[in-house]
Amino acid sequence: MSDTTAGGLTDRDDTEVSPVRQELSDRERQIRFEAEVLPMLDRLYSAALRYTRDPTDAEDLVQETIVKAFRSFHQYRPGTNLKAWLYRILHTTYISMYRKKQRRPQESFQDDIDDFSFYDEVARSGTGSAEREVLEALTADEVKQALADLPETFRMAVYLADVEGFAYKEIAEIMETPVGTVMSRLHRGRKALQKALASYARTRGLIDGPFEGEQEAP
Amino acid sequence: MSEPSDQQQRFDATAACGSQCEEALERLEAFLDGELPDADVQEIASHLTACYPCTDRATFEEQLRSIVRRDCVDDAPASLVDRIRVHLSDLPTA
Repeated sequence: MSDTTAGGLTDRDDTEVSPVRQELSDRERQIRFEAEVLPMLDRLYSAALRYTRDPTDAEDLVQETIVKAFRSFHQYRPGTNLKAWLYRILHTTYISMYRKKQRRPQESFQDDIDDFSFYDEVARSGTGSAEREVLEALTADEVKQALADLPETFRMAVYLADVEGFAYKEIAEIMETPVGTVMSRLHRGRKALQKALASYARTRGLIDGPFEGEQEAP
Repeated sequence: MSEPSDQQQRFDATAACGSQCEEALERLEAFLDGELPDADVQEIASHLTACYPCTDRATFEEQLRSIVRRDCVDDAPASLVDRIRVHLSDLPTA
């Protein structure tokens, strides 16, 4: 984990630094942009794919994000968190490109989601699988699908925290939402992810028994 | 609180062994996220050292995060990287 993600967007005490890069020539700015931003394309694409869940849309989203970031690169404060700054642009670009197109479905879970624990499901399972074995038996496709199936705001909170390693405060700034909301989305999103993974594990016979509180129709 | 049934007791043995555990588990998520104040971190860390069931649970949660971190990542297609490079060299600077 890079230490640039450890604090907030403006965690370094660089008050001396000029807020903009207007002192740079256009050419210098372009070289810096390419040197600092292009190495992050894989990560940005990966995040874009979580947002859009479609490879073509993800490519468009990354391209548009890069164009916007390049245009506003003079506003980026050197010494602050470049990665978080880019993800903030990715987030707003996603919303302007895609969210207005589709009515956002209601994003909520069953009330009992807070009580769900994958760990307990494995522990009380009669199959005798160790917790680690169950997790390791899940395939990458199942894990990807479980995350993709989460409602957008929960999906992205979990992704930004667990994959990108952003701090709560950074996620709050990226998603433009209070820290308390981030914590709640993370908590419920992780629980829902666990529930989906437990469901895959159960389908595959890695754990047994019905979920507690989930009586399925016979 | 009513007497827990035998079955509940069996689960409780792996779920929580006491009020200390309950307190630690309540803060486990923030602990694993590195979002707790130092004093709390020490408290949870020392509880985990002493309590096997809580350590086991914490390890599971960590492993879960690490499989998400490992599996939910994709590289950008080479064609996209090329397109962006070309695009950038054509862009007028702000």
